[in-house]
Amino acid sequence: MKKNIILLFLLMPVVFYGQKFSTRTGTVKFEATVPSFEEVAAQNKSVSAALDASGGEVAVLALMKGFRFKVALMEEHFNESYAETDKFPKATFKGKIEGLDITKLNATGQVFTITGDLTLHGKTKKITDRVVVTRSGNTITITGSFKVKPADFGIEIPKVVSSKIAETVTIEYNLPLNKQ
Amino acid sequence: MRKMVLLACLSFAMAATAQEDLLNELDSVQVGDEAYATAAFKGLQIVTLQTTKIPAKNEFYFVVSHRFGTVKDGISEFFGLDMATTKLGGVYGITEWLSVSASRHTMLKVYETGIKYRLARQGSSFPLEIVGYNTAGINTFLEEEDYPKLEFADRLTYTSQLLISHKVSDKVSLELVPTYIHKNLYDPAIENDNQFAVGAGGRVKLTKRLSLNMEYVYNADKPDFYVNPLSVGLDIETGGHIFQLLFTNSQAMTESGYITNAAGDWGDGDFFFGFNLYRVF
Repeated sequence: MKKNIILLFLLMPVVFYGQKFSTRTGTVKFEATVPSFEEVAAQNKSVSAALDASGGEVAVLALMKGFRFKVALMEEHFNESYAETDKFPKATFKGKIEGLDITKLNATGQVFTITGDLTLHGKTKKITDRVVVTRSGNTITITGSFKVKPADFGIEIPKVVSSKIAETVTIEYNLPLNKQ
Repeated sequence: MRKMVLLACLSFAMAATAQEDLLNELDSVQVGDEAYATAAFKGLQIVTLQTTKIPAKNEFYFVVSHRFGTVKDGISEFFGLDMATTKLGGVYGITEWLSVSASRHTMLKVYETGIKYRLARQGSSFPLEIVGYNTAGINTFLEEEDYPKLEFADRLTYTSQLLISHKVSDKVSLELVPTYIHKNLYDPAIENDNQFAVGAGGRVKLTKRLSLNMEYVYNADKPDFYVNPLSVGLDIETGGHIFQLLFTNSQAMTESGYITNAAGDWGDGDFFFGFNLYRVF
């Protein structure tokens, strides 16, 4: 009996580690538009993400050069002067969805709390927000949005344009994860 | 029992590293596209020479440039500012690799049209950005009253350039510009109809939005009384505008005039102040 329990403990991480969901085509959008000024927004449609369903661990990786703006010059400035994507090519998030139980998920969605570390422009900040998780078949979709301040990540906005770029940026994500 | 606690600890430890493992796995599957060097230059011009930058598709650049009179004239001409020459023009991106331009110059009433096309991009597999640039200038200053046999073709001057740049680092970019100029109308006593020149220039970024630029052109076929153009400039970028302040010993702003008719003299204090202003739509 004792041996069986030991075996169970041994296998636990292995078994649960197998319940993994992932994508390479997640979407992350950010929006920093100030009303009545030119739109400042971009979208990245090739975001990678993975979910370890047993513990609710989530990891997300976006290449900063993958963010597309409507205005090419804005994209150039984003890469050159704001996000400095040559120096800091990746944005990552690693965290956890609290109390996730994938057997109880449905297509209408359930709200959980997600906490974790967002790293971009070489700086890391703790994020805690609500997340909606839906499941249909072998696809678990994680969607949500949260707000960050560029200043918290050491991204300077010069005075001449500060009135045209929002102080708080809204980041929206949609990650449809398929069972591996 | 002790064994069980140990195992429990072990499984917790494995769970804790799971986030890190997940991230590392993502890292390993990321296959990025070819990483191209972007924005070797902020503006479409280093000072007067073109850079390898091409407007994006459907982007329109409105250009206003001035070259004032010689600084040597002193306070009576307000250091040249009383004698402005102007270039008004536009540049339009047809595709990501092709743009067309048209401009009107005060000097010799020249209309200049140009075409710029990217041949190679600097990236992880190739170290150079190579762009072709061709212009045709139409001199409308020539009067038929003065030259009765004048034909339209006589008004034309052609420039062909290869713009070859290398972004050395975030801050430093260099460019080399082999140039061929053909003038339909020329005075054989003083100049050749075909002239070859090589330009070299570069920029050093001082801050994120400020860069110091410099360029020099060696003209192999110039007559003695002209000099080789040498210019310095400062790029100031403010969102949708690029503002270039400059000093040069060549007052003309057409490609051919700039390279073949430089008449200033840096050593003698005979040089020109000017600026290029770009507004991007």
